[in-house]
Amino acid sequence: MFESIAKSVIDYSNIPTFIVGIYTMAIYKRLPREMKYFSWFVFVSFVVQVIASILFYNSENNLPLLHIYTVVGFVCLIIFYNQIFDGLIKPLILWVLAAVFVVYSVINSIFIQDIYTFNSYALSVEAVIIIILSLTTFVFLMNDIVKERRLAIIKSISWINAGLFIYYSSSLLVFYFGNMIISFAQSPLVRYTWFIYALFSIIMYFCFFVGLWKRPRKSIS
Amino acid sequence: MEATQEINFLSILLPLVLVVFVIAIGVFLLNQHFQKNLIRQQLEREELRNKHQKELLQSNIEVQEAERKRIAKDLHDELGATLSIAKMHLMRLEQMHPSLESKGLSIRNVRNIIETSIASVRQISHHLMPNQLETFGLIRSLEGMVDQINESKQVEIDFEIPQNPSKLSWEKELGLYRIFMELIQNTLKHSQAKNVEISCHEDDGFVTMRYKDDGVGLPEKMVHGLGLKSMEARIKAVGGSLEFIRGDGFAARLTVPIKDD
Repeated sequence: MFESIAKSVIDYSNIPTFIVGIYTMAIYKRLPREMKYFSWFVFVSFVVQVIASILFYNSENNLPLLHIYTVVGFVCLIIFYNQIFDGLIKPLILWVLAAVFVVYSVINSIFIQDIYTFNSYALSVEAVIIIILSLTTFVFLMNDIVKERRLAIIKSISWINAGLFIYYSSSLLVFYFGNMIISFAQSPLVRYTWFIYALFSIIMYFCFFVGLWKRPRKSIS
Repeated sequence: MEATQEINFLSILLPLVLVVFVIAIGVFLLNQHFQKNLIRQQLEREELRNKHQKELLQSNIEVQEAERKRIAKDLHDELGATLSIAKMHLMRLEQMHPSLESKGLSIRNVRNIIETSIASVRQISHHLMPNQLETFGLIRSLEGMVDQINESKQVEIDFEIPQNPSKLSWEKELGLYRIFMELIQNTLKHSQAKNVEISCHEDDGFVTMRYKDDGVGLPEKMVHGLGLKSMEARIKAVGGSLEFIRGDGFAARLTVPIKDD
Protein backbone atom coordinates (compact mmCIF):
# COMPACT_ATOMS: atom_id res chain seq x y z
CA MET A 1 0.00 0.00 0.00
CA PHE A 2 2.66 2.45 1.11
CA GLU A 3 4.84 1.35 -1.79
CA SER A 4 2.14 2.20 -4.31
CA ILE A 5 1.48 5.60 -2.64
CA ALA A 6 5.21 6.37 -2.68
CA LYS A 7 5.43 5.38 -6.36
CA SER A 8 2.43 7.57 -7.26
CA VAL A 9 3.86 10.54 -5.39
CA ILE A 10 7.20 10.18 -7.17
CA ASP A 11 5.55 9.65 -10.57
CA TYR A 12 3.13 12.56 -10.30
CA SER A 13 5.34 15.03 -8.43
CA ASN A 14 5.76 16.96 -11.71
CA ILE A 15 2.09 17.82 -11.95
CA PRO A 16 2.16 20.66 -9.34
CA THR A 17 5.04 22.24 -11.32
CA PHE A 18 2.85 22.29 -14.43
CA ILE A 19 -0.23 23.56 -12.56
CA VAL A 20 1.66 26.40 -10.83
CA GLY A 21 3.51 27.21 -14.07
CA ILE A 22 0.28 27.53 -16.07
CA TYR A 23 -1.46 29.46 -13.28
CA THR A 24 1.49 31.89 -13.07
CA MET A 25 1.36 32.47 -16.83
CA ALA A 26 -2.35 33.24 -16.56
CA ILE A 27 -1.91 35.84 -13.81
CA TYR A 28 1.54 37.17 -14.74
CA LYS A 29 0.32 40.61 -15.86
CA ARG A 30 -1.63 41.14 -12.64
CA LEU A 31 1.27 40.25 -10.36
CA PRO A 32 3.07 42.92 -8.33
CA ARG A 33 6.71 43.61 -9.19
CA GLU A 34 8.32 41.29 -6.60
CA MET A 35 6.14 38.35 -7.59
CA LYS A 36 6.83 38.91 -11.28
CA TYR A 37 10.48 38.21 -10.51
CA PHE A 38 9.47 35.12 -8.57
CA SER A 39 7.36 33.93 -11.48
CA TRP A 40 10.53 33.80 -13.60
CA PHE A 41 11.72 31.06 -11.26
CA VAL A 42 8.41 29.24 -11.72
CA PHE A 43 8.65 29.56 -15.51
CA VAL A 44 12.22 28.26 -15.54
CA SER A 45 11.15 25.29 -13.37
CA PHE A 46 8.19 24.69 -15.67
CA VAL A 47 10.24 24.74 -18.88
CA VAL A 48 12.98 22.56 -17.37
CA GLN A 49 10.40 20.08 -16.09
CA VAL A 50 8.72 19.84 -19.51
CA ILE A 51 12.02 19.24 -21.31
CA ALA A 52 13.20 16.83 -18.58
CA SER A 53 9.96 14.82 -18.90
CA ILE A 54 10.30 14.62 -22.69
CA LEU A 55 13.91 13.44 -22.37
CA PHE A 56 12.90 10.95 -19.68
CA TYR A 57 10.17 9.40 -21.85
CA ASN A 58 12.69 9.19 -24.71
CA SER A 59 15.03 7.36 -22.31
CA GLU A 60 17.66 10.06 -22.53
CA ASN A 61 19.76 11.44 -19.68
CA ASN A 62 18.20 14.68 -18.48
CA LEU A 63 20.74 15.48 -15.77
CA PRO A 64 22.55 18.19 -17.84
CA LEU A 65 19.29 20.12 -17.55
CA LEU A 66 19.54 19.96 -13.76
CA HIS A 67 23.00 21.58 -13.94
CA ILE A 68 21.56 24.46 -15.97
CA TYR A 69 18.44 24.68 -13.80
CA THR A 70 20.52 24.90 -10.61
CA VAL A 71 22.31 28.02 -11.88
CA VAL A 72 19.39 29.76 -13.62
CA GLY A 73 16.90 28.97 -10.82
CA PHE A 74 19.32 30.26 -8.22
CA VAL A 75 19.85 33.55 -10.07
CA CYS A 76 16.05 33.97 -10.38
CA LEU A 77 15.65 33.41 -6.63
CA ILE A 78 18.43 35.90 -5.88
CA ILE A 79 16.60 38.51 -7.99
CA PHE A 80 13.39 37.68 -6.10
CA TYR A 81 15.04 38.04 -2.67
CA ASN A 82 16.73 41.25 -3.79
CA GLN A 83 13.28 42.65 -4.51
CA ILE A 84 11.92 41.50 -1.15
CA PHE A 85 14.76 43.04 0.83
CA ASP A 86 14.25 46.31 -1.06
CA GLY A 87 17.69 47.72 -0.31
CA LEU A 88 17.57 46.79 3.39
CA ILE A 89 20.13 44.14 2.57
CA LYS A 90 22.63 45.59 0.11
CA PRO A 91 21.89 44.18 -3.38
CA LEU A 92 25.65 43.92 -3.93
CA ILE A 93 25.90 41.21 -1.25
CA LEU A 94 23.33 39.07 -3.04
CA TRP A 95 24.84 39.74 -6.46
CA VAL A 96 28.29 38.73 -5.24
CA LEU A 97 26.74 35.62 -3.71
CA ALA A 98 25.03 34.82 -7.02
CA ALA A 99 28.24 35.40 -9.01
CA VAL A 100 30.31 33.22 -6.67
CA PHE A 101 27.71 30.48 -6.80
CA VAL A 102 27.52 30.56 -10.61
CA VAL A 103 31.31 30.29 -10.88
CA TYR A 104 31.39 27.49 -8.31
CA SER A 105 28.56 25.66 -10.02
CA VAL A 106 30.21 25.87 -13.46
CA ILE A 107 33.54 24.66 -12.03
CA ASN A 108 31.68 21.83 -10.29
CA SER A 109 29.94 20.80 -13.51
CA ILE A 110 33.13 20.90 -15.58
CA PHE A 111 35.72 19.48 -13.20
CA ILE A 112 34.04 17.77 -10.24
CA GLN A 113 30.59 16.40 -11.01
CA ASP A 114 30.14 15.70 -14.69
CA ILE A 115 27.00 17.13 -16.34
CA TYR A 116 25.65 13.57 -16.77
CA THR A 117 25.79 12.98 -13.02
CA PHE A 118 23.77 14.37 -10.14
CA ASN A 119 25.26 17.79 -9.10
CA SER A 120 24.70 17.24 -5.38
CA TYR A 121 27.54 19.58 -4.32
CA ALA A 122 26.13 22.59 -6.16
CA LEU A 123 22.62 21.72 -5.00
CA SER A 124 23.77 21.47 -1.36
CA VAL A 125 25.45 24.87 -1.50
CA GLU A 126 22.39 26.32 -3.21
CA ALA A 127 20.18 24.83 -0.47
CA VAL A 128 22.36 26.33 2.29
CA ILE A 129 22.18 29.79 0.71
CA ILE A 130 18.43 29.62 0.11
CA ILE A 131 17.86 28.43 3.70
CA ILE A 132 19.87 31.41 4.99
CA LEU A 133 17.92 33.80 2.77
CA SER A 134 14.54 32.32 3.64
CA LEU A 135 15.23 32.38 7.40
CA THR A 136 16.40 35.99 7.06
CA THR A 137 13.20 36.74 5.15
CA PHE A 138 11.09 35.32 8.00
CA VAL A 139 12.86 37.65 10.48
CA PHE A 140 12.63 40.49 7.95
CA LEU A 141 8.89 40.03 7.53
CA MET A 142 8.35 40.06 11.29
CA ASN A 143 9.75 43.58 11.58
CA ASP A 144 7.00 46.14 12.27
CA ILE A 145 8.32 48.71 9.80
CA VAL A 146 8.54 46.11 7.04
CA LYS A 147 5.03 44.89 7.92
CA GLU A 148 3.72 48.41 7.60
CA ARG A 149 5.45 49.03 4.28
CA ARG A 150 4.58 45.73 2.63
CA LEU A 151 1.26 44.93 4.20
CA ALA A 152 -0.39 44.07 0.90
CA ILE A 153 2.16 41.54 -0.25
CA ILE A 154 3.36 40.07 3.04
CA LYS A 155 1.07 37.01 2.97
CA SER A 156 2.12 36.03 -0.54
CA ILE A 157 5.80 36.42 0.22
CA SER A 158 5.45 34.44 3.45
CA TRP A 159 3.86 31.49 1.66
CA ILE A 160 6.40 31.49 -1.16
CA ASN A 161 9.27 31.86 1.29
CA ALA A 162 7.87 29.05 3.46
CA GLY A 163 7.69 26.81 0.39
CA LEU A 164 11.30 27.53 -0.50
CA PHE A 165 12.44 26.97 3.09
CA ILE A 166 10.62 23.64 3.46
CA TYR A 167 11.85 22.31 0.12
CA TYR A 168 15.47 23.41 0.38
CA SER A 169 15.91 22.29 3.99
CA SER A 170 14.60 18.83 3.18
CA SER A 171 16.65 18.74 -0.04
CA LEU A 172 19.76 19.63 1.87
CA LEU A 173 19.39 16.54 4.01
CA VAL A 174 18.66 14.39 0.97
CA PHE A 175 21.72 15.73 -0.90
CA TYR A 176 23.82 15.55 2.24
CA PHE A 177 23.02 11.91 2.89
CA GLY A 178 22.98 11.23 -0.86
CA ASN A 179 26.19 9.24 -0.95
CA MET A 180 25.16 7.18 2.05
CA ILE A 181 21.75 6.46 0.51
CA ILE A 182 23.34 5.39 -2.77
CA SER A 183 25.29 2.75 -0.86
CA PHE A 184 21.92 1.19 -0.02
CA ALA A 185 21.03 1.10 -3.75
CA GLN A 186 19.08 -2.12 -3.51
CA SER A 187 17.15 -1.15 -0.42
CA PRO A 188 13.70 0.49 -0.31
CA LEU A 189 15.43 3.36 1.54
CA VAL A 190 16.31 4.93 -1.82
CA ARG A 191 12.68 4.87 -2.91
CA TYR A 192 11.54 6.32 0.44
CA THR A 193 14.12 9.06 0.16
CA TRP A 194 12.90 10.06 -3.29
CA PHE A 195 9.34 9.80 -1.99
CA ILE A 196 10.17 12.32 0.77
CA TYR A 197 11.98 14.53 -1.72
CA ALA A 198 9.00 14.46 -4.10
CA LEU A 199 6.59 15.07 -1.23
CA PHE A 200 8.45 18.22 -0.17
CA SER A 201 8.56 19.36 -3.78
CA ILE A 202 4.75 19.02 -3.89
CA ILE A 203 4.46 20.93 -0.61
CA MET A 204 6.70 23.69 -2.04
CA TYR A 205 4.51 24.06 -5.14
CA PHE A 206 1.40 24.03 -2.96
CA CYS A 207 2.90 26.94 -0.95
CA PHE A 208 3.75 28.72 -4.21
CA PHE A 209 0.18 28.30 -5.41
CA VAL A 210 -1.26 29.68 -2.15
CA GLY A 211 1.24 32.56 -2.27
CA LEU A 212 0.27 33.40 -5.84
CA TRP A 213 -3.42 33.03 -5.01
CA LYS A 214 -3.13 35.40 -2.05
CA ARG A 215 -1.43 38.04 -4.21
CA PRO A 216 -2.61 41.64 -3.72
CA ARG A 217 -5.60 42.05 -5.99
CA LYS A 218 -5.22 45.79 -6.43
CA SER A 219 -2.15 47.05 -8.26
CA ILE A 220 0.45 48.40 -5.87
CA SER A 221 3.07 50.93 -6.82
CA MET B 1 34.15 -2.40 14.86
CA GLU B 2 32.76 0.09 17.37
CA ALA B 3 35.59 2.52 16.57
CA THR B 4 34.78 2.37 12.84
CA GLN B 5 31.11 3.06 13.58
CA GLU B 6 32.12 6.02 15.75
CA ILE B 7 34.32 7.42 12.97
CA ASN B 8 31.50 6.94 10.45
CA PHE B 9 29.03 8.64 12.78
CA LEU B 10 31.41 11.56 13.39
CA SER B 11 32.25 11.94 9.72
CA ILE B 12 28.52 12.31 9.02
CA LEU B 13 27.54 14.37 12.03
CA LEU B 14 30.40 16.88 12.11
CA PRO B 15 29.92 18.25 8.58
CA LEU B 16 26.18 18.45 9.29
CA VAL B 17 26.88 20.49 12.43
CA LEU B 18 29.18 22.65 10.35
CA VAL B 19 26.44 23.20 7.75
CA VAL B 20 23.94 24.17 10.46
CA PHE B 21 26.56 26.49 11.97
CA VAL B 22 27.16 28.15 8.58
CA ILE B 23 23.39 28.65 8.18
CA ALA B 24 23.09 30.15 11.67
CA ILE B 25 26.04 32.50 11.12
CA GLY B 26 24.67 33.50 7.70
CA VAL B 27 21.23 34.30 9.10
CA PHE B 28 22.75 36.19 12.03
CA LEU B 29 25.04 38.33 9.84
CA LEU B 30 22.31 39.11 7.31
CA ASN B 31 19.97 40.12 10.11
CA GLN B 32 22.57 42.39 11.65
CA HIS B 33 23.11 43.97 8.26
CA PHE B 34 19.37 44.36 7.74
CA GLN B 35 18.81 45.95 11.17
CA LYS B 36 21.66 48.40 10.57
CA ASN B 37 20.29 49.40 7.16
CA LEU B 38 16.78 49.73 8.58
CA ILE B 39 17.98 52.20 11.22
CA ARG B 40 19.99 54.11 8.60
CA GLN B 41 16.96 54.28 6.29
CA GLN B 42 14.76 55.48 9.15
CA LEU B 43 17.24 58.24 9.99
CA GLU B 44 17.39 59.28 6.35
CA ARG B 45 13.59 59.42 6.18
CA GLU B 46 13.45 61.44 9.37
CA GLU B 47 16.01 63.85 7.97
CA LEU B 48 14.05 64.17 4.74
CA ARG B 49 10.82 64.80 6.69
CA ASN B 50 12.54 67.50 8.75
CA LYS B 51 13.92 69.09 5.62
CA HIS B 52 10.48 69.06 4.05
CA GLN B 53 8.94 70.60 7.18
CA LYS B 54 11.62 73.28 7.20
CA GLU B 55 10.95 74.08 3.56
CA LEU B 56 7.23 74.26 4.27
CA LEU B 57 7.84 76.59 7.19
CA GLN B 58 10.17 78.73 5.12
CA SER B 59 7.66 79.08 2.31
CA ASN B 60 4.92 79.86 4.85
CA ILE B 61 7.00 82.64 6.34
CA GLU B 62 7.96 83.90 2.86
CA VAL B 63 4.29 84.10 1.87
CA GLN B 64 3.46 85.83 5.15
CA GLU B 65 6.26 88.37 4.66
CA ALA B 66 5.30 89.03 1.04
CA GLU B 67 1.72 89.70 2.16
CA ARG B 68 2.94 92.00 4.94
CA LYS B 69 5.11 93.86 2.44
CA ARG B 70 2.15 94.31 0.10
CA ILE B 71 -0.14 95.57 2.89
CA ALA B 72 2.59 97.90 4.19
CA LYS B 73 3.12 99.32 0.68
CA ASP B 74 -0.63 99.75 0.08
CA LEU B 75 -1.07 101.44 3.45
CA HIS B 76 1.88 103.76 2.92
CA ASP B 77 1.40 104.57 -0.76
CA GLU B 78 -2.39 104.65 -1.02
CA LEU B 79 -3.98 105.38 2.35
CA GLY B 80 -1.04 107.52 3.44
CA ALA B 81 -1.10 109.48 0.19
CA THR B 82 -4.89 109.97 0.34
CA LEU B 83 -4.68 111.25 3.90
CA SER B 84 -1.83 113.60 2.94
CA ILE B 85 -3.95 115.02 0.09
CA ALA B 86 -6.88 115.47 2.51
CA LYS B 87 -4.56 117.27 4.94
CA MET B 88 -3.28 119.51 2.14
CA HIS B 89 -6.84 120.46 1.15
CA LEU B 90 -7.70 121.25 4.75
CA MET B 91 -4.64 123.46 5.06
CA ARG B 92 -5.67 125.34 1.91
CA LEU B 93 -9.21 125.66 3.27
CA GLU B 94 -7.77 127.01 6.51
CA GLN B 95 -5.71 129.58 4.62
CA MET B 96 -8.52 130.58 2.24
CA HIS B 97 -11.30 130.81 4.81
CA PRO B 98 -9.86 131.85 8.19
CA SER B 99 -13.39 132.99 9.18
CA LEU B 100 -14.61 129.34 9.38
CA GLU B 101 -12.59 128.90 12.59
CA SER B 102 -14.49 131.70 14.27
CA LYS B 103 -17.84 130.15 13.27
CA GLY B 104 -17.07 127.09 15.42
CA LEU B 105 -15.90 124.83 12.56
CA SER B 106 -12.57 123.59 13.85
CA ILE B 107 -10.66 122.66 10.70
CA ARG B 108 -7.47 122.53 12.76
CA ASN B 109 -8.92 119.69 14.87
CA VAL B 110 -9.79 117.69 11.74
CA ARG B 111 -6.29 118.42 10.39
CA ASN B 112 -4.75 117.17 13.65
CA ILE B 113 -6.80 113.98 13.49
CA ILE B 114 -5.66 113.41 9.90
CA GLU B 115 -2.03 114.07 10.90
CA THR B 116 -2.36 111.50 13.69
CA SER B 117 -3.86 109.06 11.20
CA ILE B 118 -0.96 109.63 8.78
CA ALA B 119 1.52 108.97 11.60
CA SER B 120 -0.38 105.81 12.58
CA VAL B 121 -0.43 104.56 9.00
CA ARG B 122 3.33 105.17 8.75
CA GLN B 123 3.92 103.33 12.04
CA ILE B 124 1.75 100.37 11.08
CA SER B 125 3.37 100.23 7.67
CA HIS B 126 6.80 100.36 9.29
CA HIS B 127 5.94 97.56 11.73
CA LEU B 128 4.63 95.44 8.90
CA MET B 129 7.76 95.85 6.81
CA PRO B 130 10.70 97.82 8.17
CA ASN B 131 12.16 99.65 5.20
CA GLN B 132 15.42 100.42 6.92
CA LEU B 133 16.13 96.69 7.30
CA GLU B 134 16.34 96.34 3.54
CA THR B 135 18.44 99.49 3.23
CA PHE B 136 20.74 99.42 6.26
CA GLY B 137 20.73 95.79 7.42
CA LEU B 138 19.92 94.10 10.72
CA ILE B 139 22.44 95.72 13.06
CA ARG B 140 21.69 99.30 11.99
CA SER B 141 17.94 98.65 12.10
CA LEU B 142 18.19 97.21 15.59
CA GLU B 143 20.32 100.16 16.60
CA GLY B 144 17.62 102.52 15.28
CA MET B 145 14.93 100.63 17.17
CA VAL B 146 17.04 100.65 20.36
CA ASP B 147 17.57 104.43 20.06
CA GLN B 148 13.83 105.00 19.67
CA ILE B 149 13.02 102.88 22.75
CA ASN B 150 15.80 104.51 24.79
CA GLU B 151 14.35 107.90 23.91
CA SER B 152 11.02 106.83 25.38
CA LYS B 153 12.83 106.23 28.74
CA GLN B 154 10.65 103.19 29.41
CA VAL B 155 13.67 100.88 29.54
CA GLU B 156 17.38 101.34 28.99
CA ILE B 157 18.74 99.08 26.27
CA ASP B 158 22.43 98.42 25.98
CA PHE B 159 23.30 97.12 22.51
CA GLU B 160 26.73 95.64 22.00
CA ILE B 161 27.59 95.08 18.35
CA PRO B 162 30.54 93.40 16.62
CA GLN B 163 33.18 95.42 14.76
CA ASN B 164 32.50 94.14 11.25
CA PRO B 165 29.25 92.21 11.29
CA SER B 166 28.79 89.69 8.47
CA LYS B 167 26.00 90.22 6.02
CA LEU B 168 23.28 87.64 6.53
CA SER B 169 20.68 86.63 3.95
CA TRP B 170 17.48 88.69 3.82
CA GLU B 171 15.44 85.82 5.33
CA LYS B 172 17.80 85.53 8.30
CA GLU B 173 17.99 89.27 8.93
CA LEU B 174 14.22 89.61 8.73
CA GLY B 175 13.72 86.57 10.98
CA LEU B 176 16.13 87.86 13.62
CA TYR B 177 14.62 91.35 13.43
CA ARG B 178 11.12 89.98 14.00
CA ILE B 179 12.30 87.84 16.91
CA PHE B 180 14.00 90.84 18.55
CA MET B 181 10.86 92.92 18.04
CA GLU B 182 8.87 90.18 19.78
CA LEU B 183 11.39 89.91 22.63
CA ILE B 184 11.45 93.68 23.18
CA GLN B 185 7.67 93.85 23.07
CA ASN B 186 7.45 91.07 25.66
CA THR B 187 9.90 92.93 27.88
CA LEU B 188 7.93 96.16 27.55
CA LYS B 189 4.56 94.50 28.14
CA HIS B 190 5.19 91.86 30.80
CA SER B 191 8.61 91.96 32.41
CA GLN B 192 8.64 95.23 34.39
CA ALA B 193 12.31 95.40 33.45
CA LYS B 194 14.42 98.53 33.69
CA ASN B 195 17.45 97.37 31.74
CA VAL B 196 17.95 95.25 28.66
CA GLU B 197 21.22 93.94 27.28
CA ILE B 198 21.58 92.84 23.69
CA SER B 199 24.85 91.49 22.40
CA CYS B 200 25.92 90.04 19.12
CA HIS B 201 29.07 88.16 18.23
CA GLU B 202 30.32 85.83 15.54
CA ASP B 203 32.15 82.59 16.08
CA ASP B 204 32.84 79.48 13.96
CA GLY B 205 30.55 80.54 11.15
CA PHE B 206 27.65 81.30 13.47
CA VAL B 207 26.10 84.56 14.67
CA THR B 208 25.12 84.35 18.31
CA MET B 209 22.84 87.03 19.72
CA ARG B 210 22.02 87.28 23.39
CA TYR B 211 19.07 89.08 24.88
CA LYS B 212 18.72 89.68 28.60
CA ASP B 213 16.45 91.83 30.76
CA ASP B 214 16.26 92.33 34.53
CA GLY B 215 12.52 91.80 34.74
CA VAL B 216 10.38 89.15 36.42
CA GLY B 217 11.62 86.43 34.08
CA LEU B 218 9.80 83.45 32.70
CA PRO B 219 6.94 81.91 34.68
CA GLU B 220 7.53 78.50 36.32
CA LYS B 221 5.29 76.82 33.80
CA MET B 222 6.13 78.26 30.42
CA VAL B 223 3.09 78.55 28.16
CA HIS B 224 3.87 78.19 24.48
CA GLY B 225 1.85 81.12 23.22
CA LEU B 226 1.59 82.44 19.68
CA GLY B 227 4.59 84.77 20.09
CA LEU B 228 6.87 81.99 21.29
CA LYS B 229 5.70 79.62 18.58
CA SER B 230 6.26 82.29 15.95
CA MET B 231 9.80 82.93 17.24
CA GLU B 232 10.60 79.22 17.23
CA ALA B 233 9.19 78.78 13.73
CA ARG B 234 11.18 81.72 12.39
CA ILE B 235 14.48 80.57 13.86
CA LYS B 236 13.88 77.01 12.69
CA ALA B 237 13.10 78.24 9.17
CA VAL B 238 16.51 79.88 8.89
CA GLY B 239 18.31 76.85 10.34
CA GLY B 240 19.12 78.46 13.66
CA SER B 241 18.33 77.74 17.28
CA LEU B 242 16.61 79.65 20.05
CA GLU B 243 17.28 78.89 23.68
CA PHE B 244 15.70 80.41 26.76
CA ILE B 245 17.98 80.62 29.76
CA ARG B 246 16.50 80.53 33.25
CA GLY B 247 17.93 82.74 35.95
CA ASP B 248 17.42 86.31 37.11
CA GLY B 249 15.18 88.08 34.65
CA PHE B 250 14.65 86.80 31.16
CA ALA B 251 17.44 85.66 28.87
CA ALA B 252 17.51 84.13 25.41
CA ARG B 253 20.25 83.04 23.05
CA LEU B 254 19.81 82.91 19.29
CA THR B 255 22.27 81.18 17.02
CA VAL B 256 22.13 81.37 13.25
CA PRO B 257 24.60 80.02 10.67
CA ILE B 258 26.19 82.86 8.67
CA LYS B 259 26.33 80.90 5.42
CA ASP B 260 23.20 79.52 3.80
CA ASP B 261 22.78 75.74 3.34
